[in-house]
Amino acid sequence: MTEQQFSRAEKFWMNFKLYQLWRFIVLNIKIYTIAVQSKWK
Amino acid sequence: MAKIVVIGAGFAGQTAAIYLGTRLGKKHEVTVISNRDVFGYVPSWVWVGVGHMKPEDTVFKLKPVYDRINVRFVHAAAKEIHPEPGDQYVLGEEIGTGNPVRLDYDYLVIAPGPLLNFAGTPGLGPDNGFTHSICSLPHAVKTRDAYLALVERMKKGEKVKIVIGTGHPLATCQGAAFEYISNVHKDLLKRGLRDKADILWLSNEPALGDFGVNGVQVKRNGIVMKSEEFIKSVFLDAGIRWQVQTGVKKVEDGKIYWENYEGQEGVTEFDFAMLIPQFKGQPFKYIGKDGEDISSRIVNPAGFVMVDGKYGLPYAELSQTPEAWPARYQNPTYPNMFAAGIAFAPPGPISRPFTNPNNFMIAPAPPRTGMVSGMIGRVVALNIVDMVNGREPSHSERMTEMVAACIASMGDSLWDGSAVAIVMRPVVPDRKKYQNEYGRDLFISHLEMGLAGAWMKFMLHHTFIWKFKALPGWQLIPE
Repeated sequence: MTEQQFSRAEKFWMNFKLYQLWRFIVLNIKIYTIAVQSKWK
Repeated sequence: MAKIVVIGAGFAGQTAAIYLGTRLGKKHEVTVISNRDVFGYVPSWVWVGVGHMKPEDTVFKLKPVYDRINVRFVHAAAKEIHPEPGDQYVLGEEIGTGNPVRLDYDYLVIAPGPLLNFAGTPGLGPDNGFTHSICSLPHAVKTRDAYLALVERMKKGEKVKIVIGTGHPLATCQGAAFEYISNVHKDLLKRGLRDKADILWLSNEPALGDFGVNGVQVKRNGIVMKSEEFIKSVFLDAGIRWQVQTGVKKVEDGKIYWENYEGQEGVTEFDFAMLIPQFKGQPFKYIGKDGEDISSRIVNPAGFVMVDGKYGLPYAELSQTPEAWPARYQNPTYPNMFAAGIAFAPPGPISRPFTNPNNFMIAPAPPRTGMVSGMIGRVVALNIVDMVNGREPSHSERMTEMVAACIASMGDSLWDGSAVAIVMRPVVPDRKKYQNEYGRDLFISHLEMGLAGAWMKFMLHHTFIWKFKALPGWQLIPE
């Protein structure tokens, strides 16, 4: 990413379904694991 | 038998009520008093505001939920709190009849959500002003109607000016406004009307992407990327103009009057504006033993309840003192009184406040909605469980320790929608623990845009409504 608009490649990955499915899984695991730690405080 | 009263049934109040009801409800009396008989899932009101979600899909009735988890529900507006030991109670007015309601308590959770201070900016708001809001469901519905009427004008070829952002120099919740502007852009794009609208982001943030939390910083491939650059790219890509460092002072029909960091005053014209008002604490009266008003001993001038934070530190010192942020959200004078969510008084701003040459202060207030509210609701409830069971409160979580995730959607389509996923740890920078200039965990903090975010947003809508209904497995869903 530059300081200007998103590049064509970046836009492609943002809407490429298979890659986004991977990001969805990663995001879920990341958010869930750090948020669930808070439960024990 | 202990009596526990929860005022409010938003993210913080509902979370507290579910924990308290399921852990204490059978042996003790847990009561929720709320002026609304429904729970509203606030994050989805941005979709209501563009006509993409039915209002009824964002709410559900509270009483059937409470009946299942041994919580008593009182549909009334709390008015007075009598906190003196020996005779502690909440006085309210029953909705519909206006009959007085008295609720005695041993433990009190104050979580009524914010007072939307439209009066703080002349001409602001949908009721007595010229702008719109998505901060309550009726407001979101009004916003939708006004927005769809605007769309009709655009269909006839009219070019319009849309302004979205904050409507007060001390406003918070920039994230909600950001999500709304993104959804308006995406909706107009889909309708083929984007070229008919000039869209402006007008906000009190010190920089774009600040969101009232001093921005978000993440490390990617060894380089620190800031939310300022990221959101700039989002806006450039969407053709959205921006004006930050600006405090709105007054609104007239079609005109927003503002002042900026340099002290310049200006006017921005609009056909449609959605501006977030200042949030204040609910104006409850706190009454002492002899009937005197003791509110000034319990709440700060903005009406937020003082808890176990260190108040009065200058910003430079506060930003280096993570322990100044409250841990248990417990009032120091009345230890059986807790404040959760937006109701607790933060010790100061997270973003750097600014006073311009005209002595006009522009400073975003700390956001403490959504995930933060839920976490505080849980901490408060679990500490009350400890106290009821004769133990010292053992739970604590400062905003300088909390992680927060925010998914700001750009459209609601699961096929070609998008969303910005933001994760930050901690919400309030802790420069003692994290030895970098931002005071954040740059590995955990996260900024990403794409279709996956839209799926996350959709999933969160359903999982959180599941949780707030206390349906089976709700305990597995984090706040």
